[in-house]
Amino acid sequence: MLKTHLSDLFESRGAKMVEFVGWKMPLWFTSITEEHLAVRNKAGIFDVSHMGRMLIEGKDSTHFLNYVTTNNVEKLRPGRMHYSTICNQNGGIKDDVMLQRITEDKYVLVTNASNREKIYNWLIQNSKGYEVKIEDVTFEVPMLAIQGPYAEKIMQKIVEIDLKKLTFWRLATCKIMGYETIISNSGYTGENGFEITVWRIPRSESENFIKIYMEILKAGEEYGLKECGLGARDTLRLEAGLVLYGNDIDEDTTPLEAKLDYAVKMDKGEFIGREALQRQLNEGLRKVRVGLKMLEKGIPRPHYEIWCENEKIGVVTSGTYSPLLNIGIAMGYVKPKYDEVGREVEIAIRERRVKAKMVEWPFYNEEEYGRRRKNVP
Amino acid sequence: MSHEHVVIKENVYYTKDHEWVKIENGNVRIGISDYAQKELRDIVYIELPQIGKKVKQFERLCSIESVKAVSDVYSPVSGEIVEVNRQLENSPELLNKDPYGNGWIAIIKAEKIEEEIKNLMDAEKYKEYLKTLEKH
Repeated sequence: MLKTHLSDLFESRGAKMVEFVGWKMPLWFTSITEEHLAVRNKAGIFDVSHMGRMLIEGKDSTHFLNYVTTNNVEKLRPGRMHYSTICNQNGGIKDDVMLQRITEDKYVLVTNASNREKIYNWLIQNSKGYEVKIEDVTFEVPMLAIQGPYAEKIMQKIVEIDLKKLTFWRLATCKIMGYETIISNSGYTGENGFEITVWRIPRSESENFIKIYMEILKAGEEYGLKECGLGARDTLRLEAGLVLYGNDIDEDTTPLEAKLDYAVKMDKGEFIGREALQRQLNEGLRKVRVGLKMLEKGIPRPHYEIWCENEKIGVVTSGTYSPLLNIGIAMGYVKPKYDEVGREVEIAIRERRVKAKMVEWPFYNEEEYGRRRKNVP
Repeated sequence: MSHEHVVIKENVYYTKDHEWVKIENGNVRIGISDYAQKELRDIVYIELPQIGKKVKQFERLCSIESVKAVSDVYSPVSGEIVEVNRQLENSPELLNKDPYGNGWIAIIKAEKIEEEIKNLMDAEKYKEYLKTLEKH
Protein backbone atom coordinates (compact mmCIF):
# COMPACT_ATOMS: atom_id res chain seq x y z
CA MET A 1 0.00 0.00 0.00
CA LEU A 2 1.27 3.49 -0.83
CA LYS A 3 1.90 5.84 2.06
CA THR A 4 2.03 9.62 2.11
CA HIS A 5 4.65 11.46 4.15
CA LEU A 6 2.07 11.63 6.94
CA SER A 7 0.41 8.16 6.87
CA ASP A 8 2.56 6.74 9.69
CA LEU A 9 2.14 9.88 11.78
CA PHE A 10 -1.65 9.71 11.42
CA GLU A 11 -1.73 6.05 12.35
CA SER A 12 0.38 6.67 15.46
CA ARG A 13 -1.98 9.49 16.44
CA GLY A 14 -4.91 7.07 16.41
CA ALA A 15 -6.66 8.08 13.18
CA LYS A 16 -8.98 5.53 11.61
CA MET A 17 -6.92 4.49 8.58
CA VAL A 18 -8.35 3.00 5.40
CA GLU A 19 -7.09 2.04 1.98
CA PHE A 20 -8.19 4.51 -0.68
CA VAL A 21 -7.24 3.67 -4.28
CA GLY A 22 -4.03 2.03 -3.06
CA TRP A 23 -3.11 4.70 -0.49
CA LYS A 24 -3.15 4.39 3.28
CA MET A 25 -5.22 7.41 4.30
CA PRO A 26 -7.11 8.64 7.38
CA LEU A 27 -10.90 8.26 7.12
CA TRP A 28 -11.34 10.34 10.25
CA PHE A 29 -9.40 11.51 13.29
CA THR A 30 -12.28 11.94 15.76
CA SER A 31 -15.49 11.85 13.71
CA ILE A 32 -16.64 12.89 10.25
CA THR A 33 -19.29 15.21 11.70
CA GLU A 34 -16.85 17.03 13.99
CA GLU A 35 -14.28 17.45 11.23
CA HIS A 36 -16.91 18.55 8.74
CA LEU A 37 -18.30 21.21 11.06
CA ALA A 38 -14.80 22.42 11.96
CA VAL A 39 -14.23 23.26 8.28
CA ARG A 40 -17.59 25.03 7.93
CA ASN A 41 -17.20 27.01 11.17
CA LYS A 42 -13.45 27.29 11.79
CA ALA A 43 -10.76 25.45 9.84
CA GLY A 44 -9.53 22.01 8.90
CA ILE A 45 -6.30 20.59 7.50
CA PHE A 46 -6.18 17.69 5.02
CA ASP A 47 -3.29 15.63 3.70
CA VAL A 48 -4.05 15.44 -0.02
CA SER A 49 -0.70 13.98 -1.08
CA HIS A 50 -2.47 10.99 -2.59
CA MET A 51 -3.62 13.10 -5.53
CA GLY A 52 -1.50 12.94 -8.66
CA ARG A 53 0.82 15.84 -9.44
CA MET A 54 2.45 16.24 -12.85
CA LEU A 55 5.00 18.88 -13.70
CA ILE A 56 4.60 19.89 -17.34
CA GLU A 57 7.27 22.09 -18.89
CA GLY A 58 8.53 23.08 -22.29
CA LYS A 59 8.03 25.44 -25.19
CA ASP A 60 4.88 23.64 -26.41
CA SER A 61 3.35 23.03 -22.99
CA THR A 62 0.50 25.53 -23.51
CA HIS A 63 -0.43 24.12 -26.93
CA PHE A 64 -0.13 20.59 -25.67
CA LEU A 65 -2.32 21.18 -22.60
CA ASN A 66 -4.85 23.04 -24.72
CA TYR A 67 -5.11 19.94 -26.89
CA VAL A 68 -5.49 17.37 -24.09
CA THR A 69 -7.77 19.36 -21.75
CA THR A 70 -11.17 20.96 -22.36
CA ASN A 71 -10.68 24.41 -20.76
CA ASN A 72 -8.83 27.23 -22.56
CA VAL A 73 -5.19 27.13 -21.42
CA GLU A 74 -4.23 30.08 -23.62
CA LYS A 75 -6.50 32.25 -21.48
CA LEU A 76 -4.95 30.99 -18.26
CA ARG A 77 -2.36 33.52 -17.09
CA PRO A 78 0.76 32.66 -15.08
CA GLY A 79 -0.09 32.78 -11.38
CA ARG A 80 -3.58 31.45 -12.00
CA MET A 81 -5.24 28.06 -12.03
CA HIS A 82 -8.42 26.63 -13.45
CA TYR A 83 -10.62 23.57 -13.28
CA SER A 84 -10.65 21.41 -16.38
CA THR A 85 -11.40 17.97 -17.69
CA ILE A 86 -9.45 15.51 -19.79
CA CYS A 87 -11.73 13.70 -22.22
CA ASN A 88 -11.41 10.67 -24.44
CA GLN A 89 -12.32 10.79 -28.16
CA ASN A 90 -15.97 10.13 -27.27
CA GLY A 91 -16.11 13.11 -24.95
CA GLY A 92 -16.15 10.83 -21.88
CA ILE A 93 -14.27 12.18 -18.88
CA LYS A 94 -10.90 10.49 -18.29
CA ASP A 95 -10.28 12.76 -15.31
CA ASP A 96 -11.21 16.11 -13.82
CA VAL A 97 -8.16 18.16 -12.93
CA MET A 98 -6.83 21.44 -11.58
CA LEU A 99 -4.28 23.09 -13.82
CA GLN A 100 -1.86 25.59 -12.30
CA ARG A 101 0.12 27.87 -14.59
CA ILE A 102 3.29 28.61 -12.65
CA THR A 103 5.19 30.55 -15.34
CA GLU A 104 4.80 31.06 -19.09
CA ASP A 105 5.67 27.45 -19.93
CA LYS A 106 5.60 25.63 -16.60
CA TYR A 107 2.44 23.98 -15.33
CA VAL A 108 1.36 21.70 -12.50
CA LEU A 109 -1.54 19.37 -13.28
CA VAL A 110 -3.31 17.88 -10.26
CA THR A 111 -5.20 14.66 -11.04
CA ASN A 112 -7.38 12.33 -9.01
CA ALA A 113 -5.41 9.71 -7.08
CA SER A 114 -7.39 7.01 -8.87
CA ASN A 115 -6.37 8.32 -12.30
CA ARG A 116 -2.73 9.25 -11.77
CA GLU A 117 -1.14 6.47 -13.83
CA LYS A 118 -3.85 6.49 -16.49
CA ILE A 119 -3.47 10.21 -17.04
CA TYR A 120 0.33 10.12 -17.03
CA ASN A 121 0.24 7.45 -19.76
CA TRP A 122 -2.43 9.36 -21.69
CA LEU A 123 -0.36 12.56 -21.61
CA ILE A 124 2.78 10.76 -22.76
CA GLN A 125 0.82 8.98 -25.51
CA ASN A 126 -0.62 12.25 -26.82
CA SER A 127 2.54 14.35 -26.53
CA LYS A 128 4.15 13.13 -29.75
CA GLY A 129 5.21 16.09 -31.84
CA TYR A 130 5.07 18.52 -28.90
CA GLU A 131 8.22 19.86 -27.26
CA VAL A 132 7.10 19.11 -23.74
CA LYS A 133 8.44 17.35 -20.67
CA ILE A 134 6.01 15.53 -18.37
CA GLU A 135 7.14 14.42 -14.93
CA ASP A 136 5.05 12.66 -12.29
CA VAL A 137 6.24 14.36 -9.10
CA THR A 138 3.52 12.92 -6.83
CA PHE A 139 5.89 11.05 -4.53
CA GLU A 140 8.28 13.89 -3.78
CA VAL A 141 5.91 16.86 -3.78
CA PRO A 142 3.58 16.38 -0.80
CA MET A 143 0.42 18.44 -0.65
CA LEU A 144 -1.80 19.88 2.06
CA ALA A 145 -5.15 21.66 2.05
CA ILE A 146 -6.17 24.11 4.77
CA GLN A 147 -9.84 24.99 4.46
CA GLY A 148 -12.41 27.06 6.30
CA PRO A 149 -13.20 30.63 7.36
CA TYR A 150 -10.06 30.83 9.54
CA ALA A 151 -7.74 29.27 6.94
CA GLU A 152 -6.40 32.64 5.83
CA LYS A 153 -5.62 33.84 9.37
CA ILE A 154 -3.80 30.58 10.09
CA MET A 155 -1.73 30.51 6.90
CA GLN A 156 -0.87 34.18 7.19
CA LYS A 157 1.13 33.20 10.30
CA ILE A 158 3.13 30.76 8.15
CA VAL A 159 3.83 32.62 4.90
CA GLU A 160 5.25 36.06 4.19
CA ILE A 161 3.21 36.89 1.09
CA ASP A 162 -0.03 38.83 1.61
CA LEU A 163 -2.81 36.22 1.41
CA LYS A 164 -5.47 38.94 1.05
CA LYS A 165 -4.13 39.42 -2.46
CA LEU A 166 -4.21 35.69 -3.18
CA THR A 167 -7.84 35.59 -4.27
CA PHE A 168 -9.74 32.56 -5.59
CA TRP A 169 -7.75 30.40 -8.03
CA ARG A 170 -4.60 32.52 -7.80
CA LEU A 171 -1.30 30.99 -6.83
CA ALA A 172 2.10 32.18 -5.65
CA THR A 173 5.44 30.68 -4.77
CA CYS A 174 6.84 31.23 -1.31
CA LYS A 175 9.17 29.65 1.24
CA ILE A 176 7.89 27.61 4.16
CA MET A 177 10.59 26.48 6.63
CA GLY A 178 13.21 26.76 3.92
CA TYR A 179 11.28 24.81 1.30
CA GLU A 180 10.02 26.23 -1.98
CA THR A 181 6.23 25.91 -2.01
CA ILE A 182 3.36 26.74 -4.31
CA ILE A 183 0.38 28.08 -2.41
CA SER A 184 -2.97 28.55 -4.12
CA ASN A 185 -6.36 29.80 -3.03
CA SER A 186 -8.36 26.70 -3.89
CA GLY A 187 -9.86 23.56 -2.44
CA TYR A 188 -12.56 20.92 -2.49
CA THR A 189 -14.85 21.97 0.35
CA GLY A 190 -16.66 25.08 -0.89
CA GLU A 191 -14.90 27.14 1.79
CA ASN A 192 -12.16 29.68 1.37
CA GLY A 193 -8.82 27.99 1.80
CA PHE A 194 -5.42 27.10 0.46
CA GLU A 195 -3.63 24.20 -1.12
CA ILE A 196 0.13 23.90 -0.72
CA THR A 197 2.66 21.79 -2.58
CA VAL A 198 6.18 21.49 -1.17
CA TRP A 199 9.11 21.14 -3.61
CA ARG A 200 10.61 18.67 -3.00
CA ILE A 201 10.71 16.26 -0.06
CA PRO A 202 11.21 12.56 -0.81
CA ARG A 203 9.38 10.08 1.43
CA SER A 204 12.72 9.14 3.01
CA GLU A 205 12.83 12.65 4.48
CA SER A 206 9.24 12.64 5.74
CA GLU A 207 10.27 14.16 9.06
CA ASN A 208 10.86 17.49 7.32
CA PHE A 209 7.33 17.51 5.97
CA ILE A 210 5.99 16.47 9.37
CA LYS A 211 7.70 19.59 10.78
CA ILE A 212 5.81 21.78 8.32
CA TYR A 213 2.55 19.99 9.13
CA MET A 214 3.06 20.38 12.88
CA GLU A 215 3.95 24.05 12.43
CA ILE A 216 0.63 24.69 10.67
CA LEU A 217 -1.25 22.69 13.32
CA LYS A 218 0.39 24.85 15.99
CA ALA A 219 -0.47 28.06 14.14
CA GLY A 220 -4.08 26.89 13.88
CA GLU A 221 -4.53 25.92 17.49
CA GLU A 222 -5.91 29.31 18.55
CA TYR A 223 -8.41 29.18 15.66
CA GLY A 224 -9.71 25.67 16.31
CA LEU A 225 -7.94 24.08 13.34
CA LYS A 226 -8.83 20.39 13.16
CA GLU A 227 -7.13 17.50 11.37
CA CYS A 228 -9.56 16.08 8.82
CA GLY A 229 -9.81 12.77 7.01
CA LEU A 230 -11.27 11.55 3.73
CA GLY A 231 -14.71 11.10 5.30
CA ALA A 232 -15.18 14.82 5.91
CA ARG A 233 -13.51 15.60 2.60
CA ASP A 234 -16.28 13.63 0.88
CA THR A 235 -19.22 15.11 2.83
CA LEU A 236 -17.83 18.64 2.40
CA ARG A 237 -17.37 18.36 -1.35
CA LEU A 238 -20.84 16.88 -1.74
CA GLU A 239 -22.45 19.73 0.24
CA ALA A 240 -20.59 22.12 -2.05
CA GLY A 241 -21.92 20.31 -5.14
CA LEU A 242 -18.48 19.24 -6.35
CA VAL A 243 -18.15 16.01 -8.33
CA LEU A 244 -16.07 13.00 -7.34
CA TYR A 245 -14.43 11.02 -10.12
CA GLY A 246 -15.58 7.41 -10.15
CA ASN A 247 -18.88 8.33 -8.48
CA ASP A 248 -20.34 11.30 -10.33
CA ILE A 249 -18.21 11.32 -13.46
CA ASP A 250 -16.42 8.65 -15.49
CA GLU A 251 -15.51 7.77 -19.06
CA ASP A 252 -19.20 7.17 -19.89
CA THR A 253 -20.16 10.67 -18.82
CA THR A 254 -19.34 13.88 -20.67
CA PRO A 255 -18.56 17.20 -18.96
CA LEU A 256 -21.71 18.61 -20.56
CA GLU A 257 -23.87 15.94 -18.94
CA ALA A 258 -22.10 16.59 -15.63
CA LYS A 259 -22.90 20.32 -16.00
CA LEU A 260 -19.21 21.18 -16.03
CA ASP A 261 -19.71 23.43 -19.08
CA TYR A 262 -17.53 26.15 -17.57
CA ALA A 263 -14.56 23.81 -17.96
CA VAL A 264 -15.29 23.21 -21.66
CA LYS A 265 -14.41 25.88 -24.23
CA MET A 266 -15.78 24.70 -27.57
CA ASP A 267 -14.50 27.77 -29.43
CA LYS A 268 -10.84 27.46 -28.41
CA GLY A 269 -9.81 25.22 -31.31
CA GLU A 270 -9.07 21.54 -31.67
CA PHE A 271 -8.92 19.35 -28.53
CA ILE A 272 -9.44 15.68 -27.77
CA GLY A 273 -13.16 14.96 -27.46
CA ARG A 274 -14.30 18.17 -29.13
CA GLU A 275 -16.09 16.51 -32.07
CA ALA A 276 -18.03 14.17 -29.83
CA LEU A 277 -19.00 17.01 -27.50
CA GLN A 278 -20.15 19.11 -30.47
CA ARG A 279 -22.25 16.19 -31.67
CA GLN A 280 -23.80 15.94 -28.22
CA LEU A 281 -24.58 19.66 -28.25
CA ASN A 282 -26.37 19.18 -31.58
CA GLU A 283 -28.18 15.98 -30.75
CA GLY A 284 -28.90 16.46 -27.04
CA LEU A 285 -27.67 14.99 -23.79
CA ARG A 286 -28.47 11.46 -22.63
CA LYS A 287 -28.59 12.41 -18.94
CA VAL A 288 -27.85 15.40 -16.71
CA ARG A 289 -26.49 15.83 -13.21
CA VAL A 290 -28.88 17.10 -10.56
CA GLY A 291 -28.74 17.91 -6.85
CA LEU A 292 -31.20 16.13 -4.54
CA LYS A 293 -32.27 17.00 -1.04
CA MET A 294 -34.32 14.56 1.01
CA LEU A 295 -37.69 15.76 2.26
CA GLU A 296 -38.00 12.79 4.64
CA LYS A 297 -35.69 10.72 6.80
CA GLY A 298 -33.39 8.34 4.92
CA ILE A 299 -29.99 8.68 3.37
CA PRO A 300 -29.46 8.39 -0.38
CA ARG A 301 -26.43 6.34 -1.46
CA PRO A 302 -24.78 5.61 -4.82
CA HIS A 303 -26.80 3.38 -7.21
CA TYR A 304 -30.16 4.07 -5.55
CA GLU A 305 -32.84 4.65 -8.17
CA ILE A 306 -34.60 7.98 -8.70
CA TRP A 307 -38.30 7.71 -9.47
CA CYS A 308 -40.92 10.19 -10.63
CA GLU A 309 -44.58 9.22 -11.01
CA ASN A 310 -43.88 5.50 -11.30
CA GLU A 311 -41.14 5.92 -13.85
CA LYS A 312 -37.49 5.31 -13.12
CA ILE A 313 -35.87 8.55 -14.25
CA GLY A 314 -32.32 8.20 -13.00
CA VAL A 315 -29.82 7.05 -10.44
CA VAL A 316 -27.96 8.49 -7.45
CA THR A 317 -24.16 8.73 -7.90
CA SER A 318 -23.15 10.28 -4.54
CA GLY A 319 -25.16 10.59 -1.38
CA THR A 320 -24.61 11.23 2.28
CA TYR A 321 -26.04 12.68 5.43
CA SER A 322 -25.28 16.39 5.50
CA PRO A 323 -23.78 17.20 8.91
CA LEU A 324 -24.61 20.86 8.34
CA LEU A 325 -28.22 20.54 7.14
CA ASN A 326 -29.00 17.38 9.15
CA ILE A 327 -30.69 15.73 6.19
CA GLY A 328 -29.78 13.37 3.37
CA ILE A 329 -28.34 15.02 0.25
CA ALA A 330 -27.27 13.54 -3.06
CA MET A 331 -26.18 14.02 -6.62
CA GLY A 332 -27.37 11.89 -9.44
CA TYR A 333 -28.27 11.77 -13.10
CA VAL A 334 -31.76 11.98 -14.58
CA LYS A 335 -33.17 12.08 -18.09
CA PRO A 336 -32.86 15.72 -19.27
CA LYS A 337 -36.63 16.32 -19.52
CA TYR A 338 -36.96 15.79 -15.76
CA ASP A 339 -34.24 18.29 -14.86
CA GLU A 340 -36.11 21.01 -13.03
CA VAL A 341 -35.23 22.69 -9.74
CA GLY A 342 -38.03 22.15 -7.24
CA ARG A 343 -39.34 18.94 -8.81
CA GLU A 344 -40.37 16.33 -6.27
CA VAL A 345 -39.06 12.83 -6.86
CA GLU A 346 -38.69 9.63 -4.88
CA ILE A 347 -35.52 7.74 -4.08
CA ALA A 348 -35.70 3.98 -3.61
CA ILE A 349 -33.93 3.34 -0.31
CA ARG A 350 -34.05 -0.43 0.12
CA GLU A 351 -37.78 -1.32 0.48
CA ARG A 352 -38.93 2.26 0.83
CA ARG A 353 -39.65 5.14 -1.57
CA VAL A 354 -38.48 8.31 0.13
CA LYS A 355 -39.43 11.82 -1.01
CA ALA A 356 -36.72 14.17 -2.26
CA LYS A 357 -36.56 17.45 -4.13
CA MET A 358 -34.29 18.58 -6.94
CA VAL A 359 -32.19 21.51 -5.77
CA GLU A 360 -29.27 23.60 -6.94
CA TRP A 361 -25.83 23.24 -5.45
CA PRO A 362 -24.18 24.19 -3.17
CA PHE A 363 -26.67 22.68 -0.73
CA TYR A 364 -25.91 25.22 2.00
CA ASN A 365 -26.98 28.85 2.13
CA GLU A 366 -24.15 30.79 0.47
CA GLU A 367 -24.80 33.85 2.61
CA GLU A 368 -23.93 31.83 5.70
CA TYR A 369 -21.38 29.26 4.54
CA GLY A 370 -18.77 28.77 1.86
CA ARG A 371 -16.21 31.13 0.41
CA ARG A 372 -18.83 33.72 -0.55
CA ARG A 373 -20.26 33.95 2.97
CA LYS A 374 -21.30 37.40 4.20
CA ASN A 375 -19.76 37.25 7.65
CA VAL A 376 -16.13 36.21 7.59
CA PRO A 377 -14.93 35.76 11.19
CA MET B 1 -9.22 0.48 14.54
CA SER B 2 -7.66 3.24 16.59
CA HIS B 3 -6.18 2.93 20.05
CA GLU B 4 -9.42 3.82 21.77
CA HIS B 5 -10.55 1.59 24.55
CA VAL B 6 -13.41 -0.70 23.55
CA VAL B 7 -15.92 -1.53 26.27
CA ILE B 8 -16.95 -5.20 26.42
CA LYS B 9 -19.94 -5.73 28.65
CA GLU B 10 -20.07 -8.86 30.78
CA ASN B 11 -23.12 -11.15 31.02
CA VAL B 12 -24.18 -10.64 27.42
CA TYR B 13 -23.47 -12.70 24.31
CA TYR B 14 -21.97 -11.41 21.10
CA THR B 15 -22.10 -12.18 17.38
CA LYS B 16 -19.23 -11.92 14.90
CA ASP B 17 -21.10 -8.96 13.39
CA HIS B 18 -20.86 -7.14 16.73
CA GLU B 19 -24.43 -7.39 17.96
CA TRP B 20 -25.04 -8.20 21.63
CA VAL B 21 -27.86 -10.23 23.27
CA LYS B 22 -28.97 -10.05 26.88
CA ILE B 23 -31.29 -12.69 28.23
CA GLU B 24 -34.10 -11.13 30.30
CA ASN B 25 -36.83 -13.41 31.73
CA GLY B 26 -37.57 -15.39 28.61
CA ASN B 27 -37.07 -12.58 26.12
CA VAL B 28 -33.80 -11.21 24.80
CA ARG B 29 -32.75 -7.61 24.42
CA ILE B 30 -30.38 -6.85 21.57
CA GLY B 31 -28.15 -4.03 20.42
CA ILE B 32 -24.79 -3.30 18.83
CA SER B 33 -21.48 -3.48 20.66
CA ASP B 34 -19.19 -0.63 21.61
CA TYR B 35 -16.76 -1.84 18.93
CA ALA B 36 -19.53 -1.59 16.31
CA GLN B 37 -20.54 1.94 17.27
CA LYS B 38 -16.90 3.07 17.26
CA GLU B 39 -16.43 1.59 13.79
CA LEU B 40 -19.61 3.22 12.46
CA ARG B 41 -18.92 6.45 14.33
CA ASP B 42 -21.40 9.18 13.36
CA ILE B 43 -24.69 7.24 13.48
CA VAL B 44 -27.44 9.45 12.11
CA TYR B 45 -30.38 7.19 11.41
CA ILE B 46 -31.81 3.76 12.17
CA GLU B 47 -34.53 1.97 10.27
CA LEU B 48 -36.10 0.00 13.13
CA PRO B 49 -37.49 -3.50 12.59
CA GLN B 50 -41.25 -4.01 12.68
CA ILE B 51 -42.95 -5.34 15.78
CA GLY B 52 -44.41 -8.77 15.10
CA LYS B 53 -41.86 -9.59 12.44
CA LYS B 54 -40.25 -13.02 12.73
CA VAL B 55 -36.54 -13.36 12.15
CA LYS B 56 -34.11 -16.23 11.97
CA GLN B 57 -30.72 -16.20 13.67
CA PHE B 58 -28.18 -14.10 11.69
CA GLU B 59 -30.86 -12.82 9.31
CA ARG B 60 -30.96 -9.11 8.53
CA LEU B 61 -32.92 -7.34 11.24
CA CYS B 62 -32.63 -3.67 10.36
CA SER B 63 -30.12 -1.13 9.11
CA ILE B 64 -28.12 1.67 10.64
CA GLU B 65 -26.94 4.70 8.68
CA SER B 66 -23.76 6.49 9.63
CA VAL B 67 -22.56 9.56 7.74
CA LYS B 68 -20.25 7.33 5.76
CA ALA B 69 -22.33 4.27 4.96
CA VAL B 70 -25.31 2.07 5.62
CA SER B 71 -24.74 -1.10 7.68
CA ASP B 72 -27.04 -4.03 8.30
CA VAL B 73 -27.80 -5.30 11.77
CA TYR B 74 -28.33 -9.06 11.98
CA SER B 75 -30.52 -10.76 14.52
CA PRO B 76 -28.41 -12.69 17.04
CA VAL B 77 -31.31 -15.11 17.71
CA SER B 78 -34.45 -16.48 16.06
CA GLY B 79 -37.81 -15.26 17.24
CA GLU B 80 -40.48 -12.61 17.07
CA ILE B 81 -39.85 -8.92 17.60
CA VAL B 82 -41.98 -7.80 20.51
CA GLU B 83 -40.61 -4.34 21.21
CA VAL B 84 -38.38 -1.76 19.53
CA ASN B 85 -36.58 1.24 20.98
CA ARG B 86 -38.61 4.13 19.54
CA GLN B 87 -36.29 6.61 21.24
CA LEU B 88 -33.71 5.85 18.57
CA GLU B 89 -35.91 7.35 15.86
CA ASN B 90 -35.27 10.84 17.14
CA SER B 91 -32.05 10.18 19.03
CA PRO B 92 -29.96 7.77 16.92
CA GLU B 93 -26.89 9.12 18.69
CA LEU B 94 -27.86 6.92 21.67
CA LEU B 95 -26.38 4.05 19.67
CA ASN B 96 -23.02 5.86 19.91
CA LYS B 97 -23.37 7.21 23.41
CA ASP B 98 -24.81 4.23 25.24
CA PRO B 99 -24.72 1.10 23.06
CA TYR B 100 -25.34 -1.36 25.92
CA GLY B 101 -27.93 0.79 27.71
CA ASN B 102 -30.30 3.36 26.22
CA GLY B 103 -29.04 2.49 22.76
CA TRP B 104 -30.66 -0.97 22.74
CA ILE B 105 -32.49 -1.77 19.50
CA ALA B 106 -35.17 -4.39 20.06
CA ILE B 107 -36.59 -7.08 22.32
CA ILE B 108 -37.15 -10.48 20.75
CA LYS B 109 -39.22 -13.37 22.00
CA ALA B 110 -36.59 -16.00 21.39
CA GLU B 111 -37.59 -19.38 20.00
CA LYS B 112 -34.64 -21.63 20.71
CA ILE B 113 -32.15 -19.61 22.70
CA GLU B 114 -30.56 -22.63 24.45
CA GLU B 115 -29.61 -24.10 21.11
CA GLU B 116 -28.63 -20.85 19.37
CA ILE B 117 -26.52 -19.53 22.21
CA LYS B 118 -23.86 -22.02 21.12
CA ASN B 119 -23.37 -19.91 18.00
CA LEU B 120 -22.63 -16.80 20.07
CA MET B 121 -19.60 -15.65 22.04
CA ASP B 122 -19.41 -14.72 25.71
CA ALA B 123 -17.49 -11.61 26.77
CA GLU B 124 -14.21 -13.49 27.11
CA LYS B 125 -14.44 -15.08 23.64
CA TYR B 126 -15.58 -11.80 22.07
CA LYS B 127 -12.53 -10.08 23.55
CA GLU B 128 -10.29 -12.69 21.90
CA TYR B 129 -12.22 -12.29 18.66
CA LEU B 130 -11.68 -8.50 18.65
CA LYS B 131 -7.94 -9.09 19.06
CA THR B 132 -7.89 -11.11 15.84
CA LEU B 133 -9.54 -8.16 14.04
CA GLU B 134 -6.99 -5.66 15.34
CA LYS B 135 -4.21 -7.47 13.51
CA HIS B 136 -5.33 -6.30 10.07
